[in-house]
Amino acid sequence: MNYPVWYLPEIGGGLLIALIAVLHVFVSHFAVGGGLYLIYAEKKGLREHNDGILAFTKRHARFFLLLTLVFGSITGVGIWFIIALVNPAATSLLIHIFVFGWAVEWVFFLVEIVAAFVYFYMFGKMNPATHLKVGWVYFISAWMSLFLINGIIGFMLTPGSWLENGNFWNGFFNPSFWPSLGLRTFIALMLAGVYGYLTASFCQQREVRLTMTRFSGKWALGALVAALPFAWWYVVVLPEPAQKLVFGTSPTIAAAAQWGAVGAVALLVITLVAGIVRPALNLRSVAALAMVCGLITIGSFEWIREAARRPYAINEVIYSNMIKKEELERITEQGYLQTAVWVEDRQLTDQSRPTAGEELFIQQCYACHTAGGWNNDLKAQTARMSYPAMSSYIKRIHEVRYFMPPFAGTDAEADALAAYLVGSWHGKEEAPAGTENAGEQLFDAQCAACHAPEDLTESLGGLPTGEIVDLLGRLDEISTEMEPFSGSGSEAVALAAFLRVPSGGEEAVAPATPDGEMLFADNCAVCHAPEDVAAVLESWERGAVRAALDDLQAISEEMPPYDGTADEKDALTDYLIDLGRNP
Amino acid sequence: MATLYIPAADTIPVAWGWFQFFLLLTFPLHLLAMNAMLGGLAVGVGQQFIGGSVRDRLAHRLAVALPLVIAFAVNFGVAPLLFLQVLYGQFMYTSSILMGLFWISIVPLLIVAYYGAYLYDFKFSRLGGAGKWIGLAVLLMLLTIAYFFVNNMLLMSLPEAFAGYFQHRAGTMLASGEEVFPPRYLHMVTGALAVGGLFVALVGQFRSEQDGELAAHARDVGMKVFFRLTLVNICLGVWYLLSQERDTMLLFMGGNRGATAVFSLALLVIVVILVAAYRRRLAVTVGSVVLLVYLMSFMRAWLRSDYLAEVFRLDQLAVVPQYSPLIFFLVVLLGGLIVIGWLLKKTAAALVESGASR
Repeated sequence: MNYPVWYLPEIGGGLLIALIAVLHVFVSHFAVGGGLYLIYAEKKGLREHNDGILAFTKRHARFFLLLTLVFGSITGVGIWFIIALVNPAATSLLIHIFVFGWAVEWVFFLVEIVAAFVYFYMFGKMNPATHLKVGWVYFISAWMSLFLINGIIGFMLTPGSWLENGNFWNGFFNPSFWPSLGLRTFIALMLAGVYGYLTASFCQQREVRLTMTRFSGKWALGALVAALPFAWWYVVVLPEPAQKLVFGTSPTIAAAAQWGAVGAVALLVITLVAGIVRPALNLRSVAALAMVCGLITIGSFEWIREAARRPYAINEVIYSNMIKKEELERITEQGYLQTAVWVEDRQLTDQSRPTAGEELFIQQCYACHTAGGWNNDLKAQTARMSYPAMSSYIKRIHEVRYFMPPFAGTDAEADALAAYLVGSWHGKEEAPAGTENAGEQLFDAQCAACHAPEDLTESLGGLPTGEIVDLLGRLDEISTEMEPFSGSGSEAVALAAFLRVPSGGEEAVAPATPDGEMLFADNCAVCHAPEDVAAVLESWERGAVRAALDDLQAISEEMPPYDGTADEKDALTDYLIDLGRNP
Repeated sequence: MATLYIPAADTIPVAWGWFQFFLLLTFPLHLLAMNAMLGGLAVGVGQQFIGGSVRDRLAHRLAVALPLVIAFAVNFGVAPLLFLQVLYGQFMYTSSILMGLFWISIVPLLIVAYYGAYLYDFKFSRLGGAGKWIGLAVLLMLLTIAYFFVNNMLLMSLPEAFAGYFQHRAGTMLASGEEVFPPRYLHMVTGALAVGGLFVALVGQFRSEQDGELAAHARDVGMKVFFRLTLVNICLGVWYLLSQERDTMLLFMGGNRGATAVFSLALLVIVVILVAAYRRRLAVTVGSVVLLVYLMSFMRAWLRSDYLAEVFRLDQLAVVPQYSPLIFFLVVLLGGLIVIGWLLKKTAAALVESGASR
């Protein structure tokens, strides 16, 4: 829209953000909690006059410095770089709204660096009380960085009253600010325990290893337990759509939540059993496993937070594809190609249709979908869709699936996008959906080279549409020179209707008997593959299937209600039952 | 006229002058830290290649300082990048996308270079002769990062080139083919290497009590490097100036009163610097260089404004006033500086007390 799209069709920007962000948060939270851990580890060493513990603390401080100051700080800058490349519009908004929040964070980052260097390089060379104070300066600065970033990240999910008044402080202290701050603080402390556990596993002195393993185990376990109420509070303050997504209407979020739960439980077991009860079990492999669990736990939390924000990059402000909500109406009226800045060809003609379709894909879909990549691959997802189904789906995409942004543009642009997705990618015929001459166009494209319409009407005119559809599927049996019709069910019906009445009368566009396969293609195929449905419905009775079509939301809240007629529901039921019996 | 593709700017919370002030206040700090990093490393590696006891000792001191100056070069880079995005985000985000593949590669390059620097520091003695090759590899990575930065800073000022996006959607565009690019890059890097020489001289002074020979050698090498490279850089600066379009060049020669005044003052400071450096007056040279870097940054800002003048002026940015966050920032900045002062004071006291240093 306002910015160009960095287009790497098989990789996708989202994957790059996730890669950098998950690794960064794993280290940056350690950078916060680890500061406090170092203070208390050093205090323990001083209190117990234990040089072994002090040596451990210094070693850990060195590891801490190398990991947080290098990898942590540069990946932090890296997130800034990558989000600006992938979603410059949302990044620009965050920078402009919170510029002084970022600037304050920069000051704390500077204090953090100086304090970290002084703490490490002056370990053992400074009065211990002063050295501990330096540790506190470090920890408070690092925690303030978390405090500031937390406000801005929380704003993206729950902008709260900022939406009405645009006030910096209302946006910063947004509804999810405090629960998120509590949750992140305890996650940071938990990770500090996990990292300490890792350093302890490398410790040569058995006594120190056991002592610091138990110490680290208590840290991780205590923080993990303390984080739970904040996690619950966090979910409670989420806006309703986000809550619904988190509570299972999104299968991907549910899967991420399961991974997170597994990671947290495994961590709980490791820290309890191989940390507190039997610290001797802290082998390097066990510590590495604990690290993986920590990464999974925080990774899934961040992933869920990001996913729950969909379809927005900043909730209620800007969609994930950089289109501002307030601009949607204007774009729909005037057309995307006419209103967007970064469009090469603004005219939508027959010649420019494929390139316009590609342009629309890049600008409106690519933010979340790759084209041929392994991450959310739209090529694979559109492979079984017909043009009419795709076109109709695009036009009501946000209503059907809330977490997808609405298509921004005219109907003609939606058709061009549909034509690109199913035509250019999968070689399917492009025909404007719902027009009265769809059958005629199919005829022109597939039959007219050898047949005149009136010749075929003579022989097919009296047959029911269903029978003609059946014939179209086995044209090779009629003549070896013909191939069976390869279009979708709805295309077959349109063509059959045309063949019955080539002049294109009412009957041509409204077949008397609804076709179940066509209805499936138009209403179900976007989310369900026939084979998946067949596997589920194998043991279902017809009555149950028919009843389910009346109340799809009872199966899943994510499914929109099916608003077909009773006849159409019957036809779709027959098709689904047949699919279940003969997959 | 070809179609221009320029995104609309977002609103700002306080008058643009504040952001320009913060940008011009912090950017020279980044330049000075970056110069110490690049130039210090180059001299250190060079010393190690030539060989000899005192040169190795100097290279070691510079290797110890390297991770610290990298940390500050990065940190001092964050603030100006922030303020630049506030003022010129619509241009900078666009140019970053046009060269996206190169721009994002800065992140892994910097991580590897940074770890290389720590390896070069922590294992200096154990690495022996291999260390200089690691130092050289780090230096080349940092020069590559500088190459990408100069590319982006130039590309963002050339909105007429933005249409090239449609041939480079994967982010493979660079501005290095522009006539002004070679002198701009060379002027920047040579300046960094020269100022790095001063950093070498300063590092040596911190060891003057423990190792007088090292201090004298560092001062000698550092000042020599600075003086010679500054002479080269004056020639490069002239080339850079002449590579500009005539109207742009004339800005600094009477076309704009402020730009001309700053340019004239900079020329005067250069003369002072050359004389001071020739006479090995370290303190005067360092002070004048800091002033010069600020003056050069002001000139650079004028240059950018002029490049973009036909499509954008800073006073076109819409202000939706909210001053309390600015006050919050100023208070925290002051508090942060006090805390840093306390940290440095305690460190210095501890070093004096223990009589030890690394």
